[in-house]
Amino acid sequence: MASLIPSGDFRSTYAADTTIFPTAMSRNAAIAGILLVCFAPQVLSGYWLSILIQIGIFAIAALGLNILVGFTGQISIGHAAFFLFGAFTSAYISNTLPIPVFFAIPLAGVVTALVGLIFGVPAARLKGLYLVIATLAAQYILLDFFSRADWFSGGSVPASANPFSIFGYTFRGDRQYFYVVLAYLLVSYLLVTNLMRTRDGRALVAIRDHYLSAEIMGINLTKYRTLSFGLAAFFAGISGALYAHYQLVVSNEGFGIDRSILFLAMVIIGGTGSIMGTLMGTAFVVLLPESMQWISEGLKGSAIDKALSLNNNITFLREIAIGLIIIAFLMFEPDGLAHRWRQVKTYWKLYPFSH
Amino acid sequence: MTMKSLTRTISLALLLGGATTAQAQIAIGHLADYSGGTSDVGTPYGQGVADTFAWVNKNGGVSGKQLNVDTNDYGYQVPRAIALYKKWSGGDKVSAIMGWGTADTEALTGFLAQDKIPDISGSYAAALTDPEGASGKAKPAPYNFFYGPSYSDSMRAMLTWAAEDWKAKGKPGKPKFVHMGANHPYPNAPKAAGEALATELGFEVLPPLVFALTPGDYSAQCLSLKSAGANYAYLGNTAASNISVLKACKTAGVDVQFMGNVWGMDENAAKTAGDAADGVIFPLRTAVAWGGNAAGMKTVMEISKMSDPTGKVYRPVHYIAAVCSALYLKEALDWAAKNGGATGENVAKGFYQKKNWVPSGMDGVCNPSTWTEKDHRATMKVDLYRSKIAGATDGDLNDLMAKGTIKLEKVKTVELPRKPEWFGW
Repeated sequence: MASLIPSGDFRSTYAADTTIFPTAMSRNAAIAGILLVCFAPQVLSGYWLSILIQIGIFAIAALGLNILVGFTGQISIGHAAFFLFGAFTSAYISNTLPIPVFFAIPLAGVVTALVGLIFGVPAARLKGLYLVIATLAAQYILLDFFSRADWFSGGSVPASANPFSIFGYTFRGDRQYFYVVLAYLLVSYLLVTNLMRTRDGRALVAIRDHYLSAEIMGINLTKYRTLSFGLAAFFAGISGALYAHYQLVVSNEGFGIDRSILFLAMVIIGGTGSIMGTLMGTAFVVLLPESMQWISEGLKGSAIDKALSLNNNITFLREIAIGLIIIAFLMFEPDGLAHRWRQVKTYWKLYPFSH
Repeated sequence: MTMKSLTRTISLALLLGGATTAQAQIAIGHLADYSGGTSDVGTPYGQGVADTFAWVNKNGGVSGKQLNVDTNDYGYQVPRAIALYKKWSGGDKVSAIMGWGTADTEALTGFLAQDKIPDISGSYAAALTDPEGASGKAKPAPYNFFYGPSYSDSMRAMLTWAAEDWKAKGKPGKPKFVHMGANHPYPNAPKAAGEALATELGFEVLPPLVFALTPGDYSAQCLSLKSAGANYAYLGNTAASNISVLKACKTAGVDVQFMGNVWGMDENAAKTAGDAADGVIFPLRTAVAWGGNAAGMKTVMEISKMSDPTGKVYRPVHYIAAVCSALYLKEALDWAAKNGGATGENVAKGFYQKKNWVPSGMDGVCNPSTWTEKDHRATMKVDLYRSKIAGATDGDLNDLMAKGTIKLEKVKTVELPRKPEWFGW
């Protein structure tokens, strides 16, 4: 049992059944990987570091959405509004109250969770298309609130946020902020992994798989569906707060319905109901526009550019590619990157005897 | 196969990266909006900036150094502008930024002051004119510059004209003024200043009407204008969105004198709107429009050839304003390079060296401007023009302008006093 998994299922205790790392090897690899990432600020350029930070921040929000979509079987296309709510709340708390940013971030998560619970109430009774419309309403109601509530969000003028500080020490620049994001990412992913091993987590999965059976087994549907909304909003709020103190400016631009769809794309591409898949999906969605940027820069002035007279429209290629890739994933890889990753692992494990 | 294409991409990226750092250069960041809410006017402006720097590089650069301009389409989104700013302020700092929108420029103001990077923005918000925050109405903006009258001053000039116009027409009663635009920092920037002056000049100020930055159906807004009996309406958005209002109001038969923001009207917009754009009043930032009779127009034509070798493309007013803005920066860079190097701090000082100056080769095109350590209002003179449309506006813009189907007719030059109570808002 030390380093290899025996073929067949020999798990005889609940602890063995719910373990996160099946072998010591996989646990050590994960720890080594995290330690390796800790050196990223020392070696990577500012550009790559900012991409890693973005992946870290959005992965937390996507994780929240995966609880809702992947584990509970609900849907939300208002996730970006909760993200933004967390961002504004954290900026507001740390600007107006004598609370350092260190505490403002989790507080923003809690406040956003409360707002999520309010919008989760109709979700407890709605399913499918009706729920989509209800969450769409949340998106628009919150965005409208941000553009009008001058006292809270600065109205149409972007609000400013303080840099991250703890006990009088201020984190300045991406190189230091990277560790803040990494810490939050690790804690969030551990928390959710653990949640899914508990009674509450399994209740969510039961609702997803068949809500009627779950109810017959004594699971309180209203409670768990609302809870799932609250949790999703909590992680969106934390993620938004991290984003606010990373950018130092919060604006209600760029967090419309399109951003909510991007969060859904992260979950779908990564794999619904897969925690590690969420991270992969986020990395994919963050890197996609960047790679399109490299391609369009490479194309600039080339024969293809001239033949199609792309000029300034070359940036639109990016938007088109994102749409195409989401469709391609739904068609050819509906289980997401997590599934592909499992297949790659199995292939190497069994190599060369895969058949 | 995939591995091969991957290595190819990487080597290409390395090649591109290597090429840009080969020689001593002056780095400039350029925020352009080619795809966002203001792309209608952002595209000619961005092209003007890019062409001007390409032309400067072709003619020997700045004190022998080539300009390395990093042009990026940020889609009029603040987060993307911030991300680009991080790139430009970390590591190899840029010497200056050619900025764009009001929301992103105001969001960057604090960072610019901290990092000492001048930003020559396409936003003319009055809040950016107060370098020390002495007015008490805006935060200090020591590294913000722009060429042309501020939005608020343009608004004040148009209201001054409107008050005279009302008197000249001899209509009875109080004229009614309304501010129209999106709920966004850019259209909102001159709102308070405009409404205050309107009240002072004896206008009745109606509640503002909101319409989006993107083109759409704004019949409802026109009906509100009609039922409220507005006489003078300020259009705070950019041209494409304003056209929608002009057309809808023409259909609804609304009799209102429209007054556009500097970005609110241009030749392309007049062509698209056709007779609906007839009679709109708007400020022109340059002394002449494309093809105008001025010594400097030759330089503008040369610059235009950088992206249009045929010389046949008609360049709207925003393009010429971009040429002026970029050339002011070029001269400030020149001064900085000769006085201790092109650091952001020196470039900002470069703007303060002359009074009432015009970039060389631009006589008769750019209006003389003055920036001082205490006041970044480059000019208080506002030239008001009226768009005249005589007939159908199909066909080439060059022909339409040559035949006089579309005409920009000078109405009045308003020389505003440099009042301290008008500073910073």
